[in-house]
Parts: sequence; C-alpha cells; structure tokens
Amino acid sequence: MIWTALLSTGLKIVLLGILDAISVWAAVSLGTSGSYSFLAGLVIGVIIINYLALSTKAYPFRYLFPGLVFLGAMVVYPIGYTVYISLTNLQTGNFLTKAQVIAQLDGRYYLPPDYESFRFWAYRNDQGALRVILIAGDGRAFISEGDRLKSVDLDEPQFERSPGGIVERFDGYRRISGPELYQNLSLLERLNLQYGDYTVRLANLNEFRSYRKQYQYFPGEDKLVDIQTGKVYYSKEGYFTAEDGTRIEPGFRVNIGLRNFISVLTSPTIRKDFTRVFTWTILWSLFTVLFSFAVGLGFAMLLNDPYIRARFLYRSLLIIPYTMPAFISALVWAGMFNTDLGVINRILGNLFGLKINWLNDPFWAKVTLIFINVWLTYPYMMIVSLGALQSIPVELFEAARVDGARGWQQFWKITMPLLLVSVAPLLIGSFAFTFNNFTIIWLVTAGRPAVLGAATPAGATDILISWTYRLAFEGAQGNQLGLASAVSIIIFIIIAAISAVNFRFTKALEEVSQGV
Amino acid sequence: MRKFFVVLLGLVLLAGVFAVPQQVKLVIWADDTRAPVVREVGADFQAKTGIAVEVVEIAFADLRGQFITAAPTGQGPDILIGAHDWTGELAANGLLEPFDPTLGGKAGDFNPVGLEGFSYGGNLYGMPYGTENIALLYNKDLVPTPPKTWCELLEIARALTDPAAGRYGYIVQNPDPYHWFPMLSAAGGYIFGKNPDGSLNYCDIGLANEGAIYGATVFDKMIEEGLLPAGVNWDTMTGLWTSGNAGMVISGPWLLGMTRTAGINYGVAPIPDMCCCICACVYDLPCPPIPPIPQIPPIPPIWPPKPFAGVQGFMVSAFSANKTLAFDFLLNYVATKDTMLALYRRDPRPPAYLPALNDPEVQGNPNIAAFGEQAQLAIPMPNIPQMGSVWSAWSDAQDLIANQQAEPAVALQEAVAKIKEALGCPLP
Repeated sequence: MIWTALLSTGLKIVLLGILDAISVWAAVSLGTSGSYSFLAGLVIGVIIINYLALSTKAYPFRYLFPGLVFLGAMVVYPIGYTVYISLTNLQTGNFLTKAQVIAQLDGRYYLPPDYESFRFWAYRNDQGALRVILIAGDGRAFISEGDRLKSVDLDEPQFERSPGGIVERFDGYRRISGPELYQNLSLLERLNLQYGDYTVRLANLNEFRSYRKQYQYFPGEDKLVDIQTGKVYYSKEGYFTAEDGTRIEPGFRVNIGLRNFISVLTSPTIRKDFTRVFTWTILWSLFTVLFSFAVGLGFAMLLNDPYIRARFLYRSLLIIPYTMPAFISALVWAGMFNTDLGVINRILGNLFGLKINWLNDPFWAKVTLIFINVWLTYPYMMIVSLGALQSIPVELFEAARVDGARGWQQFWKITMPLLLVSVAPLLIGSFAFTFNNFTIIWLVTAGRPAVLGAATPAGATDILISWTYRLAFEGAQGNQLGLASAVSIIIFIIIAAISAVNFRFTKALEEVSQGV
Repeated sequence: MRKFFVVLLGLVLLAGVFAVPQQVKLVIWADDTRAPVVREVGADFQAKTGIAVEVVEIAFADLRGQFITAAPTGQGPDILIGAHDWTGELAANGLLEPFDPTLGGKAGDFNPVGLEGFSYGGNLYGMPYGTENIALLYNKDLVPTPPKTWCELLEIARALTDPAAGRYGYIVQNPDPYHWFPMLSAAGGYIFGKNPDGSLNYCDIGLANEGAIYGATVFDKMIEEGLLPAGVNWDTMTGLWTSGNAGMVISGPWLLGMTRTAGINYGVAPIPDMCCCICACVYDLPCPPIPPIPQIPPIPPIWPPKPFAGVQGFMVSAFSANKTLAFDFLLNYVATKDTMLALYRRDPRPPAYLPALNDPEVQGNPNIAAFGEQAQLAIPMPNIPQMGSVWSAWSDAQDLIANQQAEPAVALQEAVAKIKEALGCPLP
C-alpha cells in the first residue's frame, strides 16, 4: 500500500518536474523575446497546475481544471481575440503596431546626391565591444566612438599596422575578418554613426556610406517630420498623414471602437445585398436540415424493420457518404453537375434531350447545392434516428395497433413526437452548422453564379459566411480583418438568436414527452 | 507547499542550461520547387562565409499568409521566395526591405519587366529570377498548324467541337480573368492606367473600354455558339486537354509537365490576333478604331492579345536582423548565371537574369522560345493591393457573360463601377 502511494507521488513529482522544466525554458525564451503577456499567462498557469497537483485541498479541481484550460484556449481566447480585432482597423496597410511603424520610419535613411563611400575595417575587444575604422575615397580616416564618427590619424603610435597598411590592433581592439566578420555583420548594420548632418551606415559588405535621416518622430506632439522636405505628418486614422492628405506607408493598427460594426450595419451597399444573402442562408440551412432529416429518417425506418434482409449491408452502404471526406465528394459532385461536361447532363441529354444549367443558373445552383449537402448529411441523420427509434418502447406501437391506428397515424402520433425529443437538439445543431458551412459552398460554386446589380461581391449562392469572406478578402484591397471579425460577430449573434428560439421550441417538446 | 517551492527553485537553476547563445544564420522560406536549389547555393555560401543557411519548405499557397503573420513577430524568414503580385500587399504592410535599386550594379542584367513587377511606390522590393506568361497550347494531332488570327481559331474550333463526343476545339478556364485578360487587352483593354510618374493609377480602370468590350463580346458569342463551354475550371480543363479532347487551350508553362506525362503531341504558339476588320470574320462585330495597316502582306499583328506577365523572385524581410547578409547572399551568390540556370532546370520558366536567359541551354528549349515570343507582349500583372477588388468584380462580370445573364458591356461597366466604389474612386 505504502509503496504504491510512494510510487504515485514519485511519478507525480517527476512528471511535474518535466512540465516545470519545459515551462521554465519557455519562460526564459518568452522573457528574452519580450512577449510579457504570454509569459504572465504561462507563469500563472504553471503555478496553478503545481498548486492543484501538490495541494490536497484543491483535489476536486484537478478534474475540472483541464476542461477549463481547453475551454479558455479553444473558446474564450479566440472569441476574445475576435472581439478585440473587430474593434481595430486591422487590414492590409494597417498591419503593424504604431511602435513598429515608428521604429521602421525612424530607421529610414536616404542617400543624398553628395554621399560618400568608405572602406572599412571592423574591430572587437575582449569585452566584445565593436568599433570600425573608415577610410574615405581620398584617404581620410575616421574611427567610431560610441555612435559618433571622429577623424583620426592612423599614423599615431597606438595603431599597429600590417605591411599593407591595414590597422590590425589598437587599444586592445583586434581586427576581425572572414567568417568572424560575417558573424558580426548584423551588429555592424545596426551602427548609426553620426558625422555632422550625416549618418554613416553599413551599405554592403565592402563599404559604409554617408546617409541622411529621412524622418524624425516627436512623441510629445505625436508627429513625424520629413527632414528632407520639412513636411509634417500627424498620426491620423492609422496613418501618418500630412495636411494635404498624403500618407506615409505603412500605416498602423489603431482602435476604432465600433466603427466596423457601424459601417457594416449602415453601409448602403452592404445592406442592399444583406437581405438576399440572409434569406438564402436561412433557406439553405432549413432545406438541408429538413430534407436530410427526411431522407435519413426514411432510411432509418426501413432499416429498423426487422423483416428486411441484409440490413447490415444496407446500413454500411448508406453510411458511405458520411465516411468520405466532404472535400472530395463536394468536388466530385461539382464535376458531375458541370453543365457541358458533367455526367449528369450527359445522361439527361441522351435520355430526354435535356440540358440544365446546374451550376450556372441561380435557381438550379441552389437546388444542386442543397442536393449535394443532403447527400452529405443524411447518413448522420440516419444514424441519429436509428438510435432514437430503438429507444421508443415497442409496447406503444402494439397498443396503437390494438386501438386501430394505421401506419401513418402511428408515425405522426407516436414516432415523430418521441423521436423529436431526442433528435430536435441535434437538428438545431445541424442547422447552426449548415448556416456556416463555408466548405461546401466554396468548393461547389464559390458563391457563383454572379448576380447582376449586386453592390458587393455577393453571388447567388453566397451564404453569410462566404459573403463575409469575400467582403473581407476580395472586397477592397487585401485583407480587411477588422471588418471580417465584426461581420462574424454579427453572424454569431444571429445564430445565437435563432438557436435560442429553437431551444425554446424543443423545451415544449420535452413537455410533450413527459405527458406520454 | 514546501515541496512545490523546492521543485520550482531547482528548475529556475536548470533554465541556465537552456540559455545558449545563438549562432547567426540566414533563414529562407521557399516552396518545394525552389528549396533544393537554394539549399545548394546556401551550402556554398556557408563554405565561404561560415554562415549557415536554413531553407524552410512551405507550400507556395501558404507562403504569403504565413509570412504576413510571422514577420512582425520576428519569427519570419530573412528571405522569402514568392510572386511579384505579393509586393504591394507586403510592402504596404511594411514587411519588405527595399533593395538597392542598382542591385549592386547588376540591375542591367535583369529583365526590365521583372524589375517593374517588383517595384512598388518607387522602391524595388524583389530580385526577379523567372518570368511566366500564358500562350496558346495546341494538340498537333488535332490542330496541325496553330491559328494566326482569331478567325482561324474559330474555324478550327467549329470543325473540331462536338459536345456530344465531349470534344472541343478551344477551351479556356472560366470564370478566370487571368486567362481572359488576353482577349480583353488585344484591342485596348487594360487594368490600371499609369500616373505621369509611372506608378499605377488605380482609379483609371480600362476594363470597360471599347477594346475590352470587343474582346468580351467575342467571348460571349463563342459561348452562345456553343464553341466554348461555360464553367471550365482547372480540373475540367486539364481533364479535356490531357485526354486529347481539346484542340487548343490558353495556359502557361505549368501545364507542360502534365501534357508530357499524358503523351500529348503539343506545340506552343502566340495567342492569335484578335483583329476583325482585316479578316472581317470575328462575328462581323463593329470595330473599335484600328491602327493603320500596310496594304502589302505579310500583315503584322494588329490586335495581338497581351497576357499578364508573372514574375518570381526573392524578397527580404523588413524584420530581418541580417539584412546585409541577406542582400550579400542574393546579389553575390544567387544572381549568378550558375544559380539562375540551376533554378531554371528545376523550374523551367524563362530566367529573368539575362545572362542565363541568353544561354544556349535555355534558348534551345522550343517551349521557352515560344512562351518567350508571347512574353514580348506581356504586361506585368499589377502588384498593388487594390488588385484584390479587381479580381472578384471582374470574375463576376465574366461569370455573368458566360452564363448569358448580361451583355458584355453591361457586365463590364458594372464591374468597373463596383471596383471604383470599393476603392473609393470618384464615380462619373
């Protein structure tokens, strides 16, 4: 007894030790790379884990904690981040933070027409300090001191020169060359040596050049001055903008409050297409769920009939659409429905002389999509219904038969109400999933066919989520992540509302079942 | 509780072991086509400089997105190999470091179209290595001599097309504006006009001018006549072509591998001239003004279709800590005839580095020569981020025309209005 207890404690300590070791390593690298928010999260998380594992008082939480962690990581954090992004102008052109943009513009130099080139020698001392000696085209020599550049006479005694005239050593500094120079290039390229109005910087492997600074940032007034032209730029709407409206690229991300939401809800172009897309999204989800449930339930009823032979075989075959990856079946169906080359029109054409514009006509494209999605989802409905059917007591049907109820009466009065009690929540889940089923739409029609007169890129078969994608990533220029987040939050609210209403409805069903 | 502190303390001490100083190295992101070549050049670089070159293989489709996410956090590469049409988005986001415009004195060795492709806002953001464009591929078993004019193309298509047998004389991916553009540009359609300083003026959109509408009308009539199936994606196109059921397709060098594997006896030719007045047969459409034509044959191309030129090249991250090294690697180790030829062998696109392009090995390749003939007319695909809204509105217009739901002029004018609205341009 005591040995097992000791063993389990020992194992616990070892596992905890490994976890903590990894965490400390991660913490060090997070700390050195400056990601302090992640560091704080890590430290808190590790302390909680250790406390839970070692304290007897926290025993019950040991089983709750993993769930809470995953809830936080997979649900709360993404939702929180989406909300945060929806309140910013994050998009192509406004991608970096303001600090990153200022650092980038502050480090921008230009070559004036009268620039000078210098040969250079680089030196390090034992403490690792780095200095350079620069030789101008006319032979003048300069040496770096901190971030300044000073004239120097290389004939002075502290400079030890090789026969070729190269300064090899001075004041404890030793010349570096070859691979060692390559190792230190990234330090050399960070040198900004001031010399009068010029900043002398590494231009390439062989030379330094005298540059001039392009911009100066004044944090107090939050303004940026173009030193070359004297133009003043103020931080405005995510760009440094001058009086005349010229902007400096890149811009930066700023908090813009609810402006993304307001522009989605009030934009006349977006509103114009919203009703059409929303209606189709509802119809798409509704018909998919209804038809796939009807087909699935039909098969389930058949398979539930004990007089059918080889039920197992049928059941296996009918589940095939469910086991194939939706990507593949969607693409295969899209190919089969092709108007000119698809096998379906080939058959229809040979048999009846029909040619239907399956994917190129707004109406038929919708029919096709619903058909394909029903094909993909009915096995799920069938499995669910099969299970639910088994749970209905057989005595109810026997009693009904005794009372003289026929097949359809039994179905509508007994099977359906009892089935819906357990299946209705799944139907609602299926509805919400179909509502956002981007994959099928994108693979089969990509929202097409196009609609004449649409104000935004909204095709005849675009559902809300695919329309969001097109608005955010094809609508204007590059990626509008802030706008996309705002729209997806709006979609979330719509789905939440629909689901809430539906769940009310299922509650009523449960009351029905209690009466039975 | 005490146990817990002991464990924690022990591990804080352990952390010292992990804090190893980092060696300087160059990180390059490339897809599986380019990675092996760059790895070889990197080994050479390491031998000479002692700097390790780490090549990370990332699928081409993911490169741009991952770079945008990773670069600002310092987790990105020093060098990225990608397409020129990423330039605008990446540079507008402040993720690219401009090159020395002289490319270390080597600028004259590069195809000017390649350099133009990587220029944005007056800066050069990439060093091109290969160009690509589409041309007419024809199945020699079905089409012995390639058409010189669109009228000839129509005649061949009429003779070959038999939908019942699943055979088509001419097919092109649609809706797919990239492959549609040559038809529109032939008689004068264009995407963006230019400002006096040579930069693109995204409010001057030439997709609904007379020339563009003419090209779109020919497309419309071909579909109406049943010569061209609507809704042909890459899979259907390659299916028909590799099974020998398509006489001609408009596509690029990327189709050649598949074509050879399928054993198709193919040839590459320039896309036929879209003239209508001299041959007076492209559906007898009313003509946009045509340039003066000499009376004596041979008649020069009057409305030669101009495809997009795509450029592949190397870009340097603005967040790289080793920019000097990166530029040294690119300008002195990659921009050499040997490396450029190695890239060409691995990925046979016409090199953008002229010494490699003029090498007999490249010049002797008939496909390169044929695509190269078309390349002389190619115009760089716009690389500014505003192109995003053009693609979607424009392919919607093509879709409407292909589905016979709108007249070409109506569809194209609506597309241009939509693009202008999305880009905030003044509407007429």
